[in-house]
Amino acid sequence: MAPAPIPYHQVRDDLWRPLKGASKRYTLTLALLSAVALWGLIAWGYQIRVGIGVAGIRRPVFWGFYLVDFVFWIGISHAGTLISAILRLTDADWRKPVTRAAEAITVFALMIGGLFPLIHLGRVWLFYWLFPYPNSRLLWPNFRSPLMWDVTAISTYLTGSVIFLYLPLIPDVAQLAEHARGWRLRLYKVLALGWTGSDREWHALERAMKLMAGIILAVAVSVHSVVAWDFAMAIAPMWHSTIFAPYFVVGAIFSGLAGLIVALTIVRKTMRLESYLTPHHFGNLAKLLLLMSLLWLYFTFAEHLTVWYGNEPKEMSVFGARVSGRFSPEFWAMVVVNFVVPFVLLGIRRLRSIRTAAIASIGVLAGMWLERYLIIVPTLSMPRLSAAWGRYSPSWVEISITLATFAAMAALYLVFAKIFPIVSVWEFEPHTQEEE
Amino acid sequence: MSLYLAGTFRTKEAAVQAIRELRASGYGPGDLTVFSDEPAEFPRGVLDRPSHMSLAVVLGAVVFFVLVVAFVYFTQYNYKLVTGGMPIFSFWPAGVVFFEMTMLGAILMAFGWFIWESGLLRRDKSVPVPAIEPELICLRVRCAAEQFETIAAALENAGARNVGKLA
Repeated sequence: MAPAPIPYHQVRDDLWRPLKGASKRYTLTLALLSAVALWGLIAWGYQIRVGIGVAGIRRPVFWGFYLVDFVFWIGISHAGTLISAILRLTDADWRKPVTRAAEAITVFALMIGGLFPLIHLGRVWLFYWLFPYPNSRLLWPNFRSPLMWDVTAISTYLTGSVIFLYLPLIPDVAQLAEHARGWRLRLYKVLALGWTGSDREWHALERAMKLMAGIILAVAVSVHSVVAWDFAMAIAPMWHSTIFAPYFVVGAIFSGLAGLIVALTIVRKTMRLESYLTPHHFGNLAKLLLLMSLLWLYFTFAEHLTVWYGNEPKEMSVFGARVSGRFSPEFWAMVVVNFVVPFVLLGIRRLRSIRTAAIASIGVLAGMWLERYLIIVPTLSMPRLSAAWGRYSPSWVEISITLATFAAMAALYLVFAKIFPIVSVWEFEPHTQEEE
Repeated sequence: MSLYLAGTFRTKEAAVQAIRELRASGYGPGDLTVFSDEPAEFPRGVLDRPSHMSLAVVLGAVVFFVLVVAFVYFTQYNYKLVTGGMPIFSFWPAGVVFFEMTMLGAILMAFGWFIWESGLLRRDKSVPVPAIEPELICLRVRCAAEQFETIAAALENAGARNVGKLA
């Protein structure tokens, strides 16, 4: 029997409840996360003051943790916009309670991922050289450079994602403004833009969301393709591959889904949203994760098979180091957490639950970070000229900054969930709540 | 002189009936506004709001595409490189930049057109807005003062409650 529909006023009360006050546990968690994020800022400040030499990147590995983190966070950003856009365009009703949580992940992950090219710059104060303006010698940025592709792709994606998150937020903040006081009232009133709930506004909102979903889908695919081309355009062993762009897009959706499941599990538990984020939603997300795991395995297999069959010596050096050499523990750990664990936990119906979906997702997040590491570091450690081979080990600065980004992501998410309802109130339809 | 009155409906069907009656009496979509706390979708022909948003988005994309191609062309010729007569502007290697900026044009136009079409920032503050109760649909009608009684009766006949003049 289907559960009784939740009355509208209860939906609103339940979803607005987390916005009121801050528990001691919330404050402590936020303080701890902020402290870790601050430590990362201090480490970055130290790097700016002393120089990029304090990082472990040196010849021949000039792209280390920073680029791994960059690719990882841009991948995570595909959680929201892409997933939300696909589900919106296909009119998947079950998406409604999960879209805002996903779209928020996108915005914050992009903000964090977009920082890494700056962190990696070394002389960060010269970042404005990337802006198109004529300097004293009338030299403009080189628009044919993949670095410029990144700048334009990420700027467009961030702009689109912020608007995609903001548009469906307007009706909710308009309602919140009617009940808020103080700074919240001022904030909600500004963000509501004078929303009244008229049919003209609803029509415009729905049209804009449909169009934005289509646009953002194209942009999201292009962004991770561009990130893949940063590598694939170089004639480096195991990078110069035609399937790198779709391989990266699949990996991005995979890690984004995992990030979304982890975030939703935490939100569900801490904000007591069990009636809104049901096992039905997690079941659907888990099935999607399993599908992406299989797709990821297929692409990884295809990528490695062609290299192995081609047997080109320089490529085989990197292949060997990954599969059976010094990077093999990371490689096989990646295969286990990205494929074996999700396949067992989510593929066997009896084992599939919210808890196992969260466990598998945490594994996937670790596995996808390792995947980015395995794409970048082995190739750079073993360039075509074997006399130039070298090793890479990250310094405390890189490790601190990496950990800080995870803390910053969690802190930003916590703050967002305290200011805005993490489940869209107007989109949640109690009368069509699915059977569990 | 025109005034505004509003009535509240429990069901969408009742609101549709009221709108149909008012449309038959000569009231246009500009005189009728429905307020709700979630989108209320009516059958085609009841209260259509034609939109040019898709066209505007395509236009925004085209304008940004032309601008960015022109900009890249200008910047590449702005520095007097000695190339022995070889062209220095190449379209395809800058294709990603063109694509992203085209999409940016579409995104900004979608947002801008949403603001325009929804009338959010150009709303006439003197026009009263009824308070919306959860799960109810409110219909606001602009009519001449002498028509007030007739319209109120039409709304009530269709099942409206709390019919009254909006201050």
